[in-house]
Amino acid sequence: MSENRPRELLEALDPDQRQSALQTPLPRRRLGPGILALLWTLRIYVLLAVGVVVYAFVRSLLR
Amino acid sequence: MPVTPQWFELQLSKERLRALWTRPGPPQEWDEDRKRADDRARVRHARARRRPFLLLFLLVGPGVLVMLGENDGPSMLSYATTGATYGIGFFVPFIVLTFAMAYIVQEATVRIGIVTHRGHAELIYQRFGPFWGNFAMLDLSVGNVLTLITEFVAIRAGTAFFGIAPWVAVTMAVVFSVAVLLSGRYFAWERIVLLLATANLLFIPAAAFSHPDFAALARALGTWQPLPGGTHGAFLTLVLANIGATVTPWMIFFQQSATVDKGLTRLDLPQGRIDTALGMCLAAVVAIAAVVASAPLFTHHVGVAGLANSADFATALRPFLGTTGVTLFALGMIEAGLVATMTISTSSSYAVGEVLRRGHSLNLTLRQEPIFYGINLASIVVAAAVVLVPHAPLLAITIAVNVIATLLMAPALLFLLLLVNDREIMGSLANSRIANVAGGAVTIGIAVVGAVYGVVTAFPQLLAQ
Repeated sequence: MSENRPRELLEALDPDQRQSALQTPLPRRRLGPGILALLWTLRIYVLLAVGVVVYAFVRSLLR
Repeated sequence: MPVTPQWFELQLSKERLRALWTRPGPPQEWDEDRKRADDRARVRHARARRRPFLLLFLLVGPGVLVMLGENDGPSMLSYATTGATYGIGFFVPFIVLTFAMAYIVQEATVRIGIVTHRGHAELIYQRFGPFWGNFAMLDLSVGNVLTLITEFVAIRAGTAFFGIAPWVAVTMAVVFSVAVLLSGRYFAWERIVLLLATANLLFIPAAAFSHPDFAALARALGTWQPLPGGTHGAFLTLVLANIGATVTPWMIFFQQSATVDKGLTRLDLPQGRIDTALGMCLAAVVAIAAVVASAPLFTHHVGVAGLANSADFATALRPFLGTTGVTLFALGMIEAGLVATMTISTSSSYAVGEVLRRGHSLNLTLRQEPIFYGINLASIVVAAAVVLVPHAPLLAITIAVNVIATLLMAPALLFLLLLVNDREIMGSLANSRIANVAGGAVTIGIAVVGAVYGVVTAFPQLLAQ
């Protein structure tokens, strides 16, 4: 591809998919209490469950 | 040295050389746009000329790669164990169901990528903030590094069948992965990995060598019969392992980022969906083929207790599949590990690049974005090094990793559901009510399954009682 015709070629991209458009972050979303409760529940679930798996893994190594 | 005209000439030459070396090239962002625009121009051309097959050929990629990538080393081992334990029956339609579940999840990533043109990690950070973003990244990073280790376990075991020394096999896998990665173009990388991923289909001819009973296969698909016998523990473990073999967090991050890197737009949504469905169908057929290929071990009452890896399976299957059949089986296992290594490590690179707000595209070169490629290389090298540690407990690692990957899926699915229902960014492509019911059912199901899987693996004696 010739580098002297980038403007014409860049038209193949949607304006919102060009890197210049993607530099601006999207605004932060406000999380309601229900969503926060779900996120925390799953976080605790992961911590507990992974703890159990690590315990089982270490125990199998020590056998 | 005296200051002479020659000295001045020499200094001038050095200065010119330095200027040449340090001369800034086109801006990085511009270069990335240029390469993506080049690919998009071909898509636009195919669409304008009404060439649907060429258009589909250009646009397939992320969906097929993610689905065949998830048919990785540990997954194929799970399917082989399923076939060897229960033969052809309940698990054949069950595998189809798990892949339908995977489609529901992955199709959402295509829509999000197409609408926002941003990766999954990037969106989680921007919409939910760094606190929850850090948790999501921690889940992904831990899951990916651990899963990569199991991919190298598969490569090591598969190549051992051919008598290749572990260090040779692992080194070759690392060199190959890195060489493909450095192509400097998303499209080139995608096509090479797609070509390699077609070797996943080797399980189909391998299954043909087992002389399968097609009537039994059709009956199983239609009636879910025969139901598995034996212990509840073995059955439940395989149910959970088969679910864990179909959906994992890296798939969500990879397909969304790859969709963005490929440059798909709203016009490409039908092809993006076909790509995902095609990947789902191919991966499901291959998974069923692995069950069928190993079913003779069930029919001939060969115990699976001593089969710990793909090399063991290939050796045990030799009397039933013949040398050619087991060679295809072992080659398929090597491919499964290699393709997954390339896709999983790339999902890590995408996510880290997005979060650090650095370049995160395979359209950038190593020189333009060393962090993106460094993350990829580092994760591969660390995983490769672990499997070369003498007496490393590779089987215990593989089992623990499968469980952890399943456990991490529930929070990943919640983030996905929140994003795909976010009407501020998704607009008309936000989830419908039916899609939410399906997505919610998958999330709750996987959370329950993950919890049961964790407990069963940690305390196997509970099921023995």
